[in-house]
Amino acid sequence: MRASVAAIRGGIPSVAIVGSHFQAQAKTIERSLGVQDSGMAVYPGHIRLDDENEFRRKVATDIVEQIISELGNVKISPARQGGEHKPREIVFRGSIDEVNAHFYDRQWTEGLPVIPPTLDRIDAFMKHTARRPDEVIGVLLPERREATVWNVAVNGVMSGCLPEYMPVLLALVEAIADPEFRIEDHGSTPGWEPLIVISGPVTKTLDFNFGTGVMRAGRRANTAIGRFLRLYTRNIAGLRIPPGETDRAGIGNPFNVVIAEAEDFVRSIGWPTYGMERGLKEGESGVTVQSMMGASAPMAGHGSEGNDLLGYLDPMADVFGKAILGYWVHTAVAFAHWDPLIIMNPQIAKLAADKGWSKNDIRNYLYERAKIPARDVEFRGRFVNLDLTSQLEKGIVPAAYGASKDPDRLVPCFYTPESIGIVIAGNPATTWQRGYMNNHEQGAAVTKKIAWEQG
Amino acid sequence: MNAITNTAPDEPQYAVVWPLGRLQVDGGTDFPKSLPDLNGATIGEMWDWLYKGDSLFPIVREELRKRYPDIKFVEYPVIGNIHGPDENEIVAGLPQLLQALGCDAVVVGVGH
Repeated sequence: MRASVAAIRGGIPSVAIVGSHFQAQAKTIERSLGVQDSGMAVYPGHIRLDDENEFRRKVATDIVEQIISELGNVKISPARQGGEHKPREIVFRGSIDEVNAHFYDRQWTEGLPVIPPTLDRIDAFMKHTARRPDEVIGVLLPERREATVWNVAVNGVMSGCLPEYMPVLLALVEAIADPEFRIEDHGSTPGWEPLIVISGPVTKTLDFNFGTGVMRAGRRANTAIGRFLRLYTRNIAGLRIPPGETDRAGIGNPFNVVIAEAEDFVRSIGWPTYGMERGLKEGESGVTVQSMMGASAPMAGHGSEGNDLLGYLDPMADVFGKAILGYWVHTAVAFAHWDPLIIMNPQIAKLAADKGWSKNDIRNYLYERAKIPARDVEFRGRFVNLDLTSQLEKGIVPAAYGASKDPDRLVPCFYTPESIGIVIAGNPATTWQRGYMNNHEQGAAVTKKIAWEQG
Repeated sequence: MNAITNTAPDEPQYAVVWPLGRLQVDGGTDFPKSLPDLNGATIGEMWDWLYKGDSLFPIVREELRKRYPDIKFVEYPVIGNIHGPDENEIVAGLPQLLQALGCDAVVVGVGH
């Protein structure tokens, strides 16, 4: 729809072909681009699922007739707006149940109960920032609503956050409003969720869990802030599952709790923290947000000796690298971006450090070990019409993908060593580790500093 | 939806605000005009290299030529992939590209 509306903005009538299952989403995107009735030819059913004869019949009749009709009678007009409210306007009064019912009926919650966003609660959040409530942090696609300091506080209240979380919430919204994050693609069909890593002294100040069960709900800061970000994308970016129209995730995942790193431990073994590797200075706090498509099974050193480092790294390369990333790396090659993330167990990190390994040594080892035949990447790449030769000729992807023309040559699953994020966290009495896969350039890792000085 | 509530008469009441943000849209008013006759018109084909555009556009061409013998096409390989790493730049430059190619209208094959 973006290309179609861009053509129209340039004075050229356009018809966009969409599947009937995606018509409502297309209309929402159209509205977010400021127009309605921009011209669509609706394919009945799913374009990919019809056989060749049925496909030809539908295109030759339904699609062609609609193209002629739409171009012959351009009806486009500015999108209608309505139902807007001012920030301090009271939109409803009622009991806790009635407030929740009112919000749920309007798709303003994700199904969990919310804390009523009353003015006094919101004002308590505003005391933790010097920013003006009406400051526009960004405009979140696809619904194209303004992300403001005020509505960050409102959704923070609703999610069960504490007022002192406000600087963290603001940094998170700055991250997802960054064009590099591509929030507009959050509703894409593979179904990815935002994944947050928090770094710096804030980890201890706000009592984040970075140890046992680090990715489990149970600690307020990890859980409420994780919930906040998903609720915020629903309310401001407009990404709502049915009866909403914009989130088209095939399956999706629940929201992620925030990952915090065991930073004191990381320093004790002489490694840089994840936050430092993302550009934060010592003493600074920040958030990194990226997409999360799926997680590996928990990985340990099955059958290996206690101090056999490779016994713990090889499952990471084989299970997470070859099996999971290998299945999806064609998208990284097609879109020239990839942010795989590993939660490394503190015991394994110490074992590596004691043997003289750096974080980059870990990255290089995983990168070199996790390789699959190029023919697999090209085969799966048909889904996105990957032209690996063209990508290599343009210099868009690393030369390692074109070391020869042999289709059985081995190519990397981790895209580049530098792309691998490593966070040290989890239960130090175990050796469990896990990998998380993002969706190429959709939800690229973006880091923002937390502005405590504004509080 | 119609969520069920269970409110006792003496429960606290809450006055709450709107959790969304203002829609920021620039509707504009300078929109293109209709093309009631496609004879002699040049139709650009835009595709994101997904979802069978390479099968779809030849059928569209064939059927439109039956009805409008003088119709012309700028086929999708000329315009190139509108998706991918440079998508934002490509989309921003589309009006100029389409005008340079002499397109009177476009058909965009993007949906699932």
